[in-house]
Amino acid sequence: MAFLEAVGLAECVHGVPATQAGFLGWLEASGLGECVRSSTPGYPSMIALHAIGMAVMVGLSLVIDLRVLGFFSGIPLAALKRFFGIAWIGFGINFLSGSALFSAQAISYMVDWVFLTKMGLVLLGAVTAGILQPAVANAGTGPLPGSTKAIAGAAIVIWIVAIIMGRLTAYL
Amino acid sequence: MDALMDWMLSTPINQLVIGYAWSWPTLESLHFLALCTLMGSLLIMDLRLIGLQRIIPLSAVHSLMPLAIGSFAINLISGLGFLFGDPNTYFQNYAFWVKMGFIVLAGINFLVYFTKVEPQILKLGPNDPTPGSAKVVGVLSLVFWFGVLSYGRLLPYLGTGGG
Repeated sequence: MAFLEAVGLAECVHGVPATQAGFLGWLEASGLGECVRSSTPGYPSMIALHAIGMAVMVGLSLVIDLRVLGFFSGIPLAALKRFFGIAWIGFGINFLSGSALFSAQAISYMVDWVFLTKMGLVLLGAVTAGILQPAVANAGTGPLPGSTKAIAGAAIVIWIVAIIMGRLTAYL
Repeated sequence: MDALMDWMLSTPINQLVIGYAWSWPTLESLHFLALCTLMGSLLIMDLRLIGLQRIIPLSAVHSLMPLAIGSFAINLISGLGFLFGDPNTYFQNYAFWVKMGFIVLAGINFLVYFTKVEPQILKLGPNDPTPGSAKVVGVLSLVFWFGVLSYGRLLPYLGTGGG
């Protein structure tokens, strides 16, 4: 516990009384929101984890999407199934770190259209990965159906705009 | 170092980066997108070197190399944009130098891969186990590049003068 106190994480486990009405206010005032907002290592550590999870989820997704479109054709499609599993670990890291970052500024995020657009695109991106994963895992050596390629093409656009919106969230 | 910073601040690149409201966020978006494609291609290449998914031929994994190098080039150029835009902040921040140190280590590791490891493994067929040297290079590559990513993202929060 002394270690946790020293790094500031102990603040996370102490409740803070709600000062603002509603769920978002409660979330902001919660121990988690307070910790991420004010403790020195809290916010940067969540930010760094969020960048790592992004690189894993979006990076692997983009490479797999390009493979579905026909690039890097020497890589057997079915072998990429395993990498979807790793991509979802990145997604999990970002769901958790993103929830913590959200709790620090819940009220302002919920009225920020850039943030809301990013969240919608991230959900769409996750849906494309959920559709492509079984399609890639069951792919034979023949060509993929056009609909699968269309989803991969859409996924690339979705991820690119999601990254840009995520970055712009810092400015609005 | 002061002379270098003064020169950077006097260049037209500096004006381009800080003179327009959209320059910095555009460079950041490019830097983030290319870091994703760099790390995505590295994850597949390095995990295959370590031994994951041996059904992928090593020559096919190698086809990801242009994507990794192209992504790094985008990040080198956009990163230089940040540096010319605000050299004092970066040069005075120890996290920046740690990040540069990780990039140098990753570069040395790549040269070891390129000169020593790759000639051995490109002859291997699918399902052949990779030699120990390939596994070491693969692990070090992931450690160094995730180090680059982590210190890059922590940069505004560590050291002095960050914002």
